[in-house]
Amino acid sequence: MKVAIFPPNSLILADLVERKGHEALVLQKEIRKKVTDPEIDSPPFNITEEEPIKGLKYAAIEVPSGIRGRMAIFGPLIEEAEAAIIMEDAPYGFGCIGCARTNELSMYFLRKRGIPLLEIHYPNTRDGTMEVVNKINTFLDELKAKEA
Amino acid sequence: MSGNESKVTRMIILGPAAKISQSELVGKLHMLELPLTIKSTCYGSVIHGEEKDVLDAVSKIRKLDPPNIFTKDRGFPPGDPRRCRAKRGGAREGFHQLEKEFELLGYVGEALDCPEVVDLKEPGKISPEEFRKIAWECEK
Repeated sequence: MKVAIFPPNSLILADLVERKGHEALVLQKEIRKKVTDPEIDSPPFNITEEEPIKGLKYAAIEVPSGIRGRMAIFGPLIEEAEAAIIMEDAPYGFGCIGCARTNELSMYFLRKRGIPLLEIHYPNTRDGTMEVVNKINTFLDELKAKEA
Repeated sequence: MSGNESKVTRMIILGPAAKISQSELVGKLHMLELPLTIKSTCYGSVIHGEEKDVLDAVSKIRKLDPPNIFTKDRGFPPGDPRRCRAKRGGAREGFHQLEKEFELLGYVGEALDCPEVVDLKEPGKISPEEFRKIAWECEK
């Protein structure tokens, strides 16, 4: 099953999803398409004026172009998702390079999709981490059971 | 750059309780004899190649110490001048995030070692009648 994770570049979430045999929809896969293209229109990355236009599908024209540009990359992953794991309160620097409004919008779209969703908080302690890992594994096992 | 589009990059990260070192990890990756670019790093290694070979290497390497070897996709190929620390100076983008997540990897490994099935339902409120019944039972 394709599982969207939030923050979309989290090592822990992506690793746990793959361990259970699901496909993690991570931001790096989308970024790879942009940076390994032989034609780089706008060095160093292939982020052009097209991205904020594509982002109009997810956010209104009044929304800053930075958010629309980020949504153009993360939006297709949300649409592809069959399940999602959202980890809130992750430290600054996680997610769409720390853009709080993009994070809010992405979480809103994931919740609105109506797919199986697990919401957890970023752990800071040993017990918290173990509980979060167990919750994620239980959620992923349930997904596998539903799939079978 | 031709042919690079089908190639993928993976970061292999060793947890703090890993039973193998970075150099051992790189040695083992070379021993797999897969057509991969392997780069040794402070957290483990970065491998780059065709998706099939990369996933094959990841599954074989994970078997060495399953709860303490973690992997993550990476968008940029290893040593890319747009990201490589050697060319730019300063910490690579994404390093601080990795550093923060590394703090929890030991606990994640522990949880993977002794898995438990937990209830995903949030604990809810109980009715006053039910609470009264529990209080009466406790008083007995």
